[in-house]
Formats: sequence, structure tokens, C-alpha cells
Amino acid sequence: MNRIPVLEGSFVSEPEPALVGSRCRSCETVAFPASFTCPNPRCMDKDVAPAPLSRTGRLASWTTVHFPPPPPFVAPDPFVPITVVEVEFASEGIQVVGPLTGAGADELRMGMPMETVVEPYYADRDGEVIGWKFRPAEESNDD
Amino acid sequence: MTDVIVAGVGLHPWGKFPHKSWVEMGAEVALEAVKDAGVEWTDVEAMVSGAMQWGGSTGMRSGNTISAALGETGVPIANINNACASGGSLMRAAYAMITSGMHDSVLVIGTDKSPKGYFPSVPVLADEPQPPVDMVRWQVGIPNPAYWALEMRKRMEAYGSTEEHLAKVKVKNSRHGALNPYARYRKEFSLEQVLASPMVCDPLRLLEICATSDGAAAVLLVSDAKARRLGVNPPIKLAACSLASGEFGDPTIRIPLLSAASDDAASAPLLSESRLAAQMAYEQAGLGPEDMDFVELPDNSSWHELQYLETMGFCDEGEAEHLLDKGATTLGGELPVCPSGGFSSFGEATMAQGILQIVEVTWQLRGAAGARQVEGAQKAITEVYGAQANNSACILTT
Ligand SMILES: [Zn+2]
Repeated sequence: MNRIPVLEGSFVSEPEPALVGSRCRSCETVAFPASFTCPNPRCMDKDVAPAPLSRTGRLASWTTVHFPPPPPFVAPDPFVPITVVEVEFASEGIQVVGPLTGAGADELRMGMPMETVVEPYYADRDGEVIGWKFRPAEESNDD
Repeated sequence: MTDVIVAGVGLHPWGKFPHKSWVEMGAEVALEAVKDAGVEWTDVEAMVSGAMQWGGSTGMRSGNTISAALGETGVPIANINNACASGGSLMRAAYAMITSGMHDSVLVIGTDKSPKGYFPSVPVLADEPQPPVDMVRWQVGIPNPAYWALEMRKRMEAYGSTEEHLAKVKVKNSRHGALNPYARYRKEFSLEQVLASPMVCDPLRLLEICATSDGAAAVLLVSDAKARRLGVNPPIKLAACSLASGEFGDPTIRIPLLSAASDDAASAPLLSESRLAAQMAYEQAGLGPEDMDFVELPDNSSWHELQYLETMGFCDEGEAEHLLDKGATTLGGELPVCPSGGFSSFGEATMAQGILQIVEVTWQLRGAAGARQVEGAQKAITEVYGAQANNSACILTT
């Protein structure tokens, strides 16, 4: 099946799955998805380049969506609730939202390590729309 | 600088009106406001209009259609869209036209027809290098209430707020809304009933999130001199009207974005736009939160009501639940919140809801709010919340 990235350039699968944002060379502000400019109002250089985010972050919040989102999302019938998590990447100073995978909402706890993966969101007639998701990770000392 | 006086108001009941167009609803309230002020349609010097036909920010229509329906007079008509903060933005544009001396009477109109359920995304796209983030977030599967639920879960973690607190907000607002003949939902709910309503985006339940409604409201603002000529009695003064946007480094995840500054790295407060709009309004009016007799805030969800009590300066962070628990925010309490019943009783009508608040406050300050009257009300503040960090606050006084 044709695999269509939900947003070109917003993640990589190789060598390991990670989000890709932009980082300002001057003030180091990180944006996700990548921006063509720097969102820091006090930065006038605004010299940005694509930058992969850390692979793992910490769980900052979550919610389970119990009703199907409207198109373009293609919801399975019967609908399977989607848990949306907010993951904080400390070294980038940013938190990012995305769907949970590999665990149920009842297994989540604030601050737990989460890692980025790339998986399908849904399939439509053009193919499989793929994007970033987050799943619980092993505790490690390097994040 | 002249004072700005609310000379007339008009309000359409909120609900679903499939057999009535947004033009008819807008024209109806426009004429009502003009007649309430005791003037003629041809006395209106300028119009500011917010009109939506399809909900969200995709269905903007023109107030010129309403003007054409009621009779074109050649006056300037500004059409404004600032998402759910549009009503306040419309008010501010009109306020500026009068304080600047540009016009003596400005009619503000908000009218909406909203689709059922979640506000949809853009159906047809122009050629762009990337799809808009609003499209992407729907593909990821993140409806508006999910954004609010993410913030609420953090609040629960930080302050020990409970699902019961969320339900209590609805119980209180449903009690107020039951007293308002213009509200769409006039049923009073018990705590048990709210807690038994379906979970939408946990911890937010169906009854704790406002619906999307059709609605319309209009206000005729005039200069102090014009109000005296007209004999407006009582002259309700629009003492402040502010508009603020978000600050860089705010950790609020904003609809429809996919990221925000992390809580640890945040260099601005949560809902910075609300804090700024409230501060600007208090400064403009020379008043503080302690002077307010009641408040109409954007209870788009129960989370909003708790959070806005803090961002609007009525209590410190984490203390809104305490105000709720001790009954301060109910009619008869020390700071009634949303005596109209709020958006939870009306439903969102993005253009009109900010004007609905002004109409409600005007009636309250005239002592004409009937069963939901706040006794002796003389000063009140309103605030609306718009997607992607837009907030507007108005202060009205007798
Ligand atoms: Zn920069």
C-alpha cells in the first residue's frame, strides 16, 4: 500500500524514528513542525535549519478521544478511541502532541519516558497516511 | 476621549434554526438594537460585522449582505473574523471608531450558523507547499476538546482538581441557563446527571463542553454626546475594550497547533492572551478584579471556567476550584460567573458569543435580567477566548 506522510519532512523513520522540526542557528529556538522562520520575537536573525528532535521525551499529559474525528480522518467502524498524548522534549524546550501506541491509557503516568515511532494513522483510497506516534519507553539516563 | 455608551442591544435566542438564514438572524438583532436605542436605521454611522455560515473560521460571510437586506446607506462596514474571540474584536473596533471621534454611532453585529459536532476543517485547499496545520491535526485525530482536556489533566495533576469540579461548573451554569429565555439549553442538571454524560475527551464529558449553535446578537454603541442627545437611560458605559494575542513561550497547546513551549521552558504564563487582555481592560477602566460584581467568561468547557477565573485575576493559580466549592461563583454568591448560563447553556456561535456577553451585561446593569438578575450589579467584565491565542475583554459600568 502507498504510504503517505501526514506532513512531508515532519519525521524520519531511518535510521531511527524521530520528529523533525527546525532550530534557529542564532537563538536555538526549536519549532515543530519545522518553520521557515524563527518564532522568537526577540530574534532578528531568523536563520533556521531542519533539526531532528530527541527520540525520547517525558509524558506531560494525555486524553482519550471517544468520538471519531471528522474527515479527512478515516475512523474505523466501530470507532476505536484514540489516546492523544503530550510529550515534553526537555533539551528542545518543546512539547508535542500525537497519538499513543503500544499501550493503553490506563498504563500511562505523568513523567514517564515516551519514545517516537512512525506508524499509520488511517488508510484512505490514496493509501496509508503515516505519521508520528508515541509509546512508553524504557527508563534511561540520557534524556 | 469620549465615553462610549451602549445605547441599544438585540439578541436572538440560541439554538438550531434550519429555516432561518444568518442574514435574517443578523438583520433581526440589528434592527432590535437600533430600535432599543430609539434611533432610525439611517442614524447608524458605521457597522462592524462578524458573520459565519459554516462554523470554524472557514465560513466567513459579509455584513454588507445584512446591510443590503435592511437598506444600504453607504456607511463603512468592517467585516472581522478573530475566531471565537470575534465578538470582542468587533466590539473593540467599534469602541475605537467612537473614542477616536470618527463616528458617533456604530452598530456591532454577530451572526452565526454552525454545523453540528466538531468544527470541520477546510474543505477545499489552494496550492500550498504544505497542508495547513489545521488539516494535519485532524489527520492526527485531535479535535478541539482534546486540547482543553490535555490542559485539564495537567491541572488535576498540579492542584488535585477532580472530575466532580468539572461537573459542578456545568451544574452551576445549567442552573443559571434555566433562568434565561434566550438560552438554547434550559434544563437544570444534577451532579449525577453530568457525571453520567458520555466522556468526549477525558476528563471532559459531553455536558462539560459547549455545543455549536446558531445565534445572533447586536449592540449599538454611541458617543457620550450622542447618548445625552438621545436621552439614553440608564447610560451603560463601555469602560474598556481590549484585545490581546499570545506571547512567545506560552506553554498552552493552541488549537490547531501541534506543539508549544514545554512547561519547564515556558517564558510566558498559560493562556497569556487572557491575562494580557484582562490586564489591559482593568488598566483602561481604572478598575480591578475586586471591583467586579459579576463576570461573563468563555466557558467553552468546564476547564475554561476554572482557568479563566485565574487568568482574569479573580484568584491565584489553583484556587478556582475553591471559589466554586464555596459557592462564590453561583447567582447569589460573591462573584456570580456567567449569570447568563454561559456558552454551556447557549452553545458556541463564534461571531455572536462575545456580543451575547455584552447584551447580557447591559441587561444586568439596567436591572432588567429578570430571574437571573445579579442584585445591585454595577460593574462587570467579559472575556472571550479565540483559537490560536486571541482574547478580548470588555468592562461595562453603570
Ligand atoms: Zn531565532
